[in-house]
Amino acid sequence: MSNKPRITPGGVAQAGAAMAYHTGSWRTQRPTHVHAIAPCHHACPAGEDPQAYLALLDEDRPREAWEALVAANPLPGVTGRVCPHFCESACNRSELDEAVAIHSVERFLGDEALAQGWAYPVDPPAADAPIVAAVGAGPAGLSFAYHALQLGWRARLFDALPEAGGVCRSAIPTYRLPRTVLDGEVERLLSLPGLEFQPHMRFGLDFDLQDLLQDHAGVFLGLGTQRPHPWDIGGAIPADLHNGLDLLKEWLDHGSIPSYRRVAVVGGGNTSVDLARVLKRAGAEHVYLVTHAALPNQGESPGDEMPALAREVAQALEEGVEILTHKGVHRLLLQGERVVGVEITHMKKLPDASGHAVRTAFEGTETVLPVDAVIPAVGEVIDPTGLEALLNGAPYLKTDQDGFAGHALVYAGGDMNGRSGTVTEAIGDGRRAAMALHARVRDVEAYAPLSPIAGWEQINPAYYEPSPRIQETVLPVAKRTGCAEIEPGPSAHQAHREAGRCLSCGMCLACDNCFTLCPDQAVLKSPENLEDGSRYVFDYDYCKGCGLCARECPCGFIQMIDEY
Amino acid sequence: MTAVPIPLSDLRRRQPRFTGISPGHRACQGCGELLAARLVTEAAGPDVVVANATGCLEVTTTNWPDSAWRVPWIHSLFENTAAVASGIEAALKAQSRSSKVLAFAGDGGTFDIGFQALSGMIERGHNVLYVCYDNEAYMNTGVQRSGSTPVGAATTTSPAGKERLGKRHLKKDILSIIAAHYMPYAATATVAYPADLRHKVRRAIEVEGPTFLLVHSPCPQGWGHDGSRTVEVARLGVQSGLVPLIELERGAVTGVMPIREPRPVADYLKAQARFRHLFADSAEAARELQHLQALAEHNIERYGLSAPGPEAHDSEGADTVRRGGNQWA
Repeated sequence: MSNKPRITPGGVAQAGAAMAYHTGSWRTQRPTHVHAIAPCHHACPAGEDPQAYLALLDEDRPREAWEALVAANPLPGVTGRVCPHFCESACNRSELDEAVAIHSVERFLGDEALAQGWAYPVDPPAADAPIVAAVGAGPAGLSFAYHALQLGWRARLFDALPEAGGVCRSAIPTYRLPRTVLDGEVERLLSLPGLEFQPHMRFGLDFDLQDLLQDHAGVFLGLGTQRPHPWDIGGAIPADLHNGLDLLKEWLDHGSIPSYRRVAVVGGGNTSVDLARVLKRAGAEHVYLVTHAALPNQGESPGDEMPALAREVAQALEEGVEILTHKGVHRLLLQGERVVGVEITHMKKLPDASGHAVRTAFEGTETVLPVDAVIPAVGEVIDPTGLEALLNGAPYLKTDQDGFAGHALVYAGGDMNGRSGTVTEAIGDGRRAAMALHARVRDVEAYAPLSPIAGWEQINPAYYEPSPRIQETVLPVAKRTGCAEIEPGPSAHQAHREAGRCLSCGMCLACDNCFTLCPDQAVLKSPENLEDGSRYVFDYDYCKGCGLCARECPCGFIQMIDEY
Repeated sequence: MTAVPIPLSDLRRRQPRFTGISPGHRACQGCGELLAARLVTEAAGPDVVVANATGCLEVTTTNWPDSAWRVPWIHSLFENTAAVASGIEAALKAQSRSSKVLAFAGDGGTFDIGFQALSGMIERGHNVLYVCYDNEAYMNTGVQRSGSTPVGAATTTSPAGKERLGKRHLKKDILSIIAAHYMPYAATATVAYPADLRHKVRRAIEVEGPTFLLVHSPCPQGWGHDGSRTVEVARLGVQSGLVPLIELERGAVTGVMPIREPRPVADYLKAQARFRHLFADSAEAARELQHLQALAEHNIERYGLSAPGPEAHDSEGADTVRRGGNQWA
């Protein structure tokens, strides 16, 4: 504007000449784009970023959505069905109406990928890339191998059983997780170039840790917990004792299970609930689930509740499983060596003199329950064979957050570490271990911490409409027989609708609020996506720093920072 | 740092909207009036001539020899905007030109000083859209009360103290007065609902003859709220019922923005220092607060603002965001 007349007749000014004056000099704070971590992302043990894939599905880019999903979790069809949805418990939308049904979208994308035959977005490793080993082809080991491939390693995966899948195959009933889904996802993973699967290889018998360390650049142990927790009642054990996990595996492998008329299952975890439901399907008239805890969400404290998933417990009750809460088996009634009943009492876990919670039975509450069998499903422990040196007598394998087991290049995860009780946590253990091993060997940054988090206070609820969560259809009780999947899953329309309910916490959703509401036109719109994932640029020559854009940003993507 | 594919000055030339007022204007941080004027000129497009009364809008956009205006624009006096606009309209008509004439004024230049000229312009049937940016006091000269200042609001000439709780008199019902001119189209709008505002600007420009828009424009300085809260305050005004969004044609109500769940007037008042004294622990303050609540309820009854159920275009639904941003279109 150098040719602008400085003195003009009659007060005439050139159009837009005020642009020569840069009001940005008034500013004491500047707006910036901050991609904060969505609470669902922070909560997901597997490291998924649901906000990212919900956004892509909302833009009708399902394949890219799936690729964003499997960047963290290679088994979304599995977790979409069996995960307790840590993400949904953290979802900001529950403050507005109901949490987004993230698991439905995860499951939809997982199934869509199988139906369409989408390949993992993983480049094959170099033919001479170093090899890492994973022992146990359950979710933890599969995830470790997958992420090692992503990071450019080759991977060798060992399992004692003929097929990969771990607990997903041996302990999760097919009505919750159809074998087609499990096989599809596991086979797709095993067929990745650079991954070698060695079945029928039992750790501690066919090979040991020293062998592994000799031949591999790093080792991941994901052996799970194989041995039933020891169980007896005052020293008495029925002669024909079956363990819950073994019975479940028998049913899953052969489709058969001993038939009982009246049976008591002892325990409160997912295995006990699954087993009770399977026994009911096998024709038992009465299936009692005896637990010293309360039903989920009904206890006096979280420690007083059954650890099984609330959804599964509710379905078990619908199917006629009789859950005896705050009860314990006190005595076995035997005729010869055959069980004819159990004596149960009121029982709670209460702190003893030293403060440890112990099961406490209450005298005078004994009741006889006639049953033909009692089946313990009270948890499993590690099979220590080959792990004696690492375990050092402990029931679980202690590791740090990354899964480092404190010995050479040995990492571990999944059920073995005593903290990770779900498939999703196991997948996350495998992922973090692969990244930590990679970082250690290659001397690079492991992974960025997930912060800051876009909490509810970052959301501007004025800009969102209430919208009910999809109602998941569940098979009616009468049709729940055999292997038919209980939850048929969402339609494509429902999955897209749920994606549209996402608030996009912490990430620009291109709503145009900042562009529209800036009184100074200091927000410009770009035709292409910019590096920070948004389409907007601040023009700091004119931004006066009023903060209107930050306050009216619906999803907390704009933050004001001090200028000086 | 954000990587910008092209220089900002080039990007600015390629924006998907018309720019009637350029940046570089000297309005305060978070100015509601400049936001409103920007939205109105964007919606009106380039084929316009603007006559502007004295006031904040005039002063902040034209620090001589600069001007932020990118459309033909003229300022004469405080009181004669409507007369100047009438003259321009007549001259364009004589030349068979079709540019739309816009008259811009604040509430002082509309409710009080320029009212006679405005009434005359409507009475003579000039094809002019008159937009009043209503920030409810004379802000340009230092927050003196105007005919638009709501009852109970403190200004420098209606201070709150022992004798009085801010302004004693009611806000002038300018829309009814305008409607009484057998007005083809008159409406209220606010910066909190830009889509609604743009719709009303386009409608007013379509209508042949005089049209009138009253745009509620919060003033961070005069109302005593942070500049970042301009839109929030404006939205609370609508949601409480104190600022009804309505359309009148020939005096009849032809459109309202329903209120889904009316917010207490206190939510709107608490956000602003000019009403702070109404929250003092006294019977007078409580009575005046109830007075404003009653005025809001009266608006809701008078214009039928209660929504029977959630609607896409009610006070909650009208500003819903969508990925990709088409809600302001």
